[in-house]
Amino acid sequence: MNATADFYTVHPKDAPAEREDIRRLLAANDLELDDQIEVFVVCRREGRLVACAGLDHYTIKCVAVAQDLRGESLSLDLGSEVVHLAAARGQFHLFLYTAPHNLPLFRGWGFYPLVEVPERVVLMENSPVALERYCDSLRAQRRPGKTIGGIVLNANPFTLGHRYLVEQAAGACDWLHVFVVKEDASMFSYADRFALVAAGVKGIDNLTLYPGSDYIISRATFPGYFLKEKGLIEASWAAVDLLLFRDYIAPALGITHRYVGSEPFDVVTRSYNAQMKQWLERAASTAAAITVVEIPRASLGGVPISATEVRRRLAQHDFRAIGDLVPATTLEFLERRFPATVQ
Amino acid sequence: MKVIKEAIAGTLESSDLLVKVAPSDRGTRDVVIRSEVIKQFGKQIRRVVTDTLDKLSVSGGSIVVEDKGALDCVIRARVQAAVLRACEANQLEWERLS
Amino acid sequence: MKLRRSMLFVPGDNGAMLSTSFVYNPDSVMFDLEDAVSPREKDSARLMVYQALQHPAYRDIETVVRINGVDTPFWQEDLEAAVRGGADIVRLPKTETAQEIQELETHVARIEKACGRAVGDTKLMAAIESASGVVNAVAIARASPRMVAIAMAGFDYLVDMHTRRSAGWEPELFYARAAVLHAARAAHIDAFDVVYGNVNDDEGFLREVQIAKQLGFNGKSLIHPKQIDLLHKAYAPTEAEVSHAKRVLAAADEAHRKGLGVVSLDGKMVDPPVIHEAEMALQMAEAA
Repeated sequence: MNATADFYTVHPKDAPAEREDIRRLLAANDLELDDQIEVFVVCRREGRLVACAGLDHYTIKCVAVAQDLRGESLSLDLGSEVVHLAAARGQFHLFLYTAPHNLPLFRGWGFYPLVEVPERVVLMENSPVALERYCDSLRAQRRPGKTIGGIVLNANPFTLGHRYLVEQAAGACDWLHVFVVKEDASMFSYADRFALVAAGVKGIDNLTLYPGSDYIISRATFPGYFLKEKGLIEASWAAVDLLLFRDYIAPALGITHRYVGSEPFDVVTRSYNAQMKQWLERAASTAAAITVVEIPRASLGGVPISATEVRRRLAQHDFRAIGDLVPATTLEFLERRFPATVQ
Repeated sequence: MKVIKEAIAGTLESSDLLVKVAPSDRGTRDVVIRSEVIKQFGKQIRRVVTDTLDKLSVSGGSIVVEDKGALDCVIRARVQAAVLRACEANQLEWERLS
Repeated sequence: MKLRRSMLFVPGDNGAMLSTSFVYNPDSVMFDLEDAVSPREKDSARLMVYQALQHPAYRDIETVVRINGVDTPFWQEDLEAAVRGGADIVRLPKTETAQEIQELETHVARIEKACGRAVGDTKLMAAIESASGVVNAVAIARASPRMVAIAMAGFDYLVDMHTRRSAGWEPELFYARAAVLHAARAAHIDAFDVVYGNVNDDEGFLREVQIAKQLGFNGKSLIHPKQIDLLHKAYAPTEAEVSHAKRVLAAADEAHRKGLGVVSLDGKMVDPPVIHEAEMALQMAEAA
């Protein structure tokens, strides 16, 4: 009798038959089933799967409507259902990637474009004002100066290498803005990482530390960063995140320089650094170009200090070695959190 | 009434609206309206939304309305539903809803 | 005389339908808070219906609100919305006993007093959806002076009876239809036939309408606006019936003018029920 009776949710990992039907509908729409999707909203009419939309945390993906039912209000019903599903899961701020030609469809879903990688993909969010308001809050923190720096840290955990990078950058700038990646996708929680960064940068006076944001290396803006498979690295993979930084974050704070540590180990981070130069310095944009400054990593005995090494030593409970790599505040935290078991 | 959590009500269908209510960290009341008919009906929509919020004594919060050409009575209902959900109101005070 | 041929179901959560269903001119509009609305949206739909009830466009159409059953956590707030919103009738689904109607009436009266509505103003109707409901139909129909109609609801009833819909004369509904009809007539209230769910099958719909009309149902519950005109035309009297009705009423007028106590036509006595029927026929002819 009513439209919503046709809609229900599917957990793809638990429902192989449904997952196959979804895969087929997506394929008919030139889309691949994204393995990161946790739950789908689907619609069946007379047993036939006619529409689907997936949720990966707070990003909507894999939206498809059967060819013969386009133009009905089916798409709007689908949008309503997925938005309500996300709300039931506590997700009210939603993002969505789509090909530029689908923009009007998703405007009908109440989504607004943020950045576009020309002819490739558009990132949208379900608010006409959320990004704008975030930038307003940043603008309130502007500092005067000719050279304003920006750093984005994951810091998993905060090491002497991070301290060195921040010191170098702060020394070269009138003011330095530091952001911590907010996703809980690393060994150390965001709360712990942020606390360690805050403790670790004490004493550097020309610095503002910001909590993480949905708009800076988040699952929404840079999903590839959190995926284990490195094979997904390609040219526009970091573009959305970097364009957001260039077009919105940097102008709000007047950032002229972005500082990164050179990356000798991690393939993902190394590629990200390379793309930074592409999208922040060279790509066409209405926003000013940002100079990317790669600072050679601090090293100990010729070996660059890395958080990976700290985690490796932690697995061995080698706190003596860790003590050489991290500031005292991080060491205290690690010893408290991982007390050595009595042999 | 006090907005204590985020909530939504309504749909994206024609003649309906989607209303999002969230607590405001600034203590102010912010109403943002988007509509396909904003030119012809923007003022009217805002009047109905504001009036509904006033009757519910909502003094602080972020309210975002995505309108799809809804009648006043539908606007009132969806705004009320979203606010009541956001305030976790269990008892309806019907005098405030007319 | 209130015609109750068509009762159009309108999902309470649907903005588009709430905004437009009055243009189709059904005899009654039923705003549904029950089966059409998911549990998640009960609160939102209730407010939609409450607001829609007060829209000027619904002032001239009989409005009915189907509240949730008394075994749910929703019905009391639904009732507040319906009575305070000004619904003409409250429809109780899955009615099984007269006591349910009486309990409902107590709450309705309480709300009427609280909101300043004349006590007794809100009418009631019962939907029969189970074997128990069918066997208690007479008591239910007589349970309150507010009762104005009783409806047969096919889907749940057939599940209760361990059978399903068939074509033809639909034997599986025969007893229930007859029982509900007799209860309605004994209590002098209106009777509604079941919903016809296949909106793409006009022929099947009209076949079922003929059954209902022949049995004597006042009307039918409808789930699609296009069924309204089909139903009204099917219920419209033939030309012959119309001319006969006009003659009956003319005879009644004449008898009245002459101060005669008895009405006669073509040498036969015409009883009040026949005059009533003639009035209804003309009314339906005009409204077709």
